[in-house]
Amino acid sequence: MNIYKKIIISIFVLLFSSWSLSEELILKNAKIHTATEKGTLENTDILIRNGLIVRIGKNLNSSRAKVKDLSGKVVSPGLIATQSQLGIVEIELVPETRDDRSEIYSAGLSIDSAFNPSSTLIPYNLTGGVTLSLTTPSSSGLFSGLTSAFSLSGSLEGSLIRSNIALSANINGGEDSLAAKIQLLEDFLDLSKFVESKSTFDMDDYEFFMPSSANYSMRDLLAINKVANKEIPLIIKANRASDILTLINFAKKKDIDLIIDGAEEGWRVSKQLSKAGVPVILQPIDNIPNSFSELGSRLDNASLLHKSGVKILISSHETHNSYLSRQGAGIAVSYGLPWQEAFNGLTKNIAEVFKLSKRGSIKPGYIADIVVWSGDPLEVTTFVEQVYISGEIIPLKNRSMRLKDRYIGN
Amino acid sequence: MKKLIVLAFVGILSIFQLSSKESEAFESTYKPSESGNIFIKDARILTGTGNEILRGNILISSNKIKAIGKEVVKPLDAKVINAEGKWITPGIIDIHSHMGVYPAPGLRSSSDGNESTSPITAHVWAEHSVWTQDPQMPLALKGGITTFHVLPGSANSIGGRGVTLKNIWSRTVQGMKFPGAPYTLKMACGENPKRVYGGRRNEPSTRMGNVAGYRKAWIRAQGYRNRLMEYESKSEEAKELEYAPSRDLELETLVGVLNGEILIQNHCYRGEEMSVMLDIAKEFNYKVTTFHHAIEAYKIADILAENGVCAAMWADWWGFKHEAFDMVWENAAIVDQANSATGCAIIHSDSAVGIQRLNQEAAKAMSAGNRAGYKIPASRAIQWITLNPAKALGIEDQTGSLEVGKMADVVIWDGNPFSVYSKTEKVFVDGVVLYDKYDPLTPKATDFELGIINSEEDRL
Repeated sequence: MNIYKKIIISIFVLLFSSWSLSEELILKNAKIHTATEKGTLENTDILIRNGLIVRIGKNLNSSRAKVKDLSGKVVSPGLIATQSQLGIVEIELVPETRDDRSEIYSAGLSIDSAFNPSSTLIPYNLTGGVTLSLTTPSSSGLFSGLTSAFSLSGSLEGSLIRSNIALSANINGGEDSLAAKIQLLEDFLDLSKFVESKSTFDMDDYEFFMPSSANYSMRDLLAINKVANKEIPLIIKANRASDILTLINFAKKKDIDLIIDGAEEGWRVSKQLSKAGVPVILQPIDNIPNSFSELGSRLDNASLLHKSGVKILISSHETHNSYLSRQGAGIAVSYGLPWQEAFNGLTKNIAEVFKLSKRGSIKPGYIADIVVWSGDPLEVTTFVEQVYISGEIIPLKNRSMRLKDRYIGN
Repeated sequence: MKKLIVLAFVGILSIFQLSSKESEAFESTYKPSESGNIFIKDARILTGTGNEILRGNILISSNKIKAIGKEVVKPLDAKVINAEGKWITPGIIDIHSHMGVYPAPGLRSSSDGNESTSPITAHVWAEHSVWTQDPQMPLALKGGITTFHVLPGSANSIGGRGVTLKNIWSRTVQGMKFPGAPYTLKMACGENPKRVYGGRRNEPSTRMGNVAGYRKAWIRAQGYRNRLMEYESKSEEAKELEYAPSRDLELETLVGVLNGEILIQNHCYRGEEMSVMLDIAKEFNYKVTTFHHAIEAYKIADILAENGVCAAMWADWWGFKHEAFDMVWENAAIVDQANSATGCAIIHSDSAVGIQRLNQEAAKAMSAGNRAGYKIPASRAIQWITLNPAKALGIEDQTGSLEVGKMADVVIWDGNPFSVYSKTEKVFVDGVVLYDKYDPLTPKATDFELGIINSEEDRL
């Protein structure tokens, strides 16, 4: 029996076994925010089979399915946390609980092996409606490191969904000119291409490329090379309007995929961002001119960017309360961003920009990461009532709830 | 014995006189402009006294609330504001702010909140650091903040005096000072002082070092008070023969606490530390007014209620320090409902972002409590950001609720203030509209904001 026959048989066996063991679930009579072009559906059912959404419609039936009546409840795809350190930070001011920084590696830091699915932050943020985290290291140099996508199921095995899918960089802070940092970015991209073009590798041959103070290793160069080859996007923190324009032109010149994180003065260059197709990761709640690079920070930034056609991703930028991205989205709505767009910014837009296939929407064929809410997911008085990850219900219990149960009514 | 008591009494009286002479410096120069008569009609009103008026009117006259209720009639000369479909609350009060002392932009050159050169700096006053042109202040005004309390930071065990300010544009800090508000003293438990000084191999480097430091300071304060009283109890002739005890800025502030004139605002996260602080207050016979950042207040909610101490809390911040690890969403509700709902819960910000929406933070804390089984109405939860902080700052006779005779610090909201979608429409400070959604010239831009985007455009 050749290898192909073996594969075909094993696929058949797999299909058959999954068919016979298939689990079905129908969520009935819910208000569904689909995060698709269909928008919000009233009084609708979702059929889930083997962890996938199979069908969405009225009065769905299946003899094999378990049925949950969700009359009066609101259902949505699980929220996706971006630029968070979920799973790699426990307490910010306790360095020994942090795995989000490195002085050894820069661009090449991949945090996959340090991710802790049992972190107390994971069930806590799940209780807030987050089912997936784009966990990003936060080293303070030019490069912070590589982002990976993790499920918040809490499962010790299998939480990693996609590895090393974006590289983060900082051009603000420190004593060096912003111009020097842009040049250094360019040098790194060029060096990675140069190294790639050579059949043999001797680090000494390439030292003339870089300033002597620029520390890097082969691992770092390989990560940068993925950006240079457009395999992954480069996320750069930037707020000042002129800096954003500089980066748009830089990305065009170097032919790389760019995402701007922050973009507090984005409204001043919204047309250019839109034309270049550069998405932005916003923290809509922050209108403080914290530095001279964000003097134009304002609460209707999200709305103005959207009006120009910029794709908006919304983050809380606060790992412990990653789920509060939804409050930020609500505030953006109160300052003019359409509700559906705000909700897409927490789900669908993030999945699209980071190429997380079959996630971020409630759609046939998509993975059933679903949250059941007591009301409007963007409203501060709304709570999560149930969470499904890949169609499996995840018990909502976290350490904070245990403490509350111990002390309440004392 | 009787003589001694009389002497002590005379002594205390003269200390009061002494401090009143000294307090002529740095007095409030704030005077609101005349509000005229303003009649706000048909609003849904959360009064701050625990009541809700479904459809009521408010009459403002000469900067004060003249009348409130369903039956209030419009005087002929009053300006009318139709607030049908709108909500009204008292002006929001943030009991924990660093606006002005940690202004935006956050630059070292104006980062003036922590005199972190020595763990006991009772002699410094936050008001002497306040930059009145901090662009964070008008943002807070748009969030309904009419009064805020500025504290020194928490690097020090005893950090210095706090100051209560009206949220108005002024060239001087004296022009913002809340008239008649008592001074406060910032103290800090836990990780911050021991991290700052322990990191330099100085005391305190432990929590027990923190506590020893407070007690030593109070012992010195008692000694200073005794010297003052002894001097004041002498006859005029005897006084002429010797010098009065020389002024000591640090000990004057601490004696102000022992005399009940200065209110303790104590940064303290952990339950056991708050309990220790209450014992120190017993040992030296002073009162702790409020524990700030009281992440674990829910663990000792009954003790706080028994002692009449308020807890100022966040709705959901946690995890930035080990002492902030045990947060529960129900914290404020548990504190509020302790001992047959006699607890004093406050929601505070400690943040220029959070101060803009204390209403939403209170909403989160209220709904967490109600989901856990309490029945806390909005009319009570609004007190967490109005009357309760006013009480904890000693200004509840002047502001914090919509009652006849109080300052007309009033907010009109375009919807339920306990919703993420609601915003303020008008904010009155002493009856004067300082923010009006439909008037682009409000709130008044700070000097910093003029021409800062480019020479023609101001920051918003």
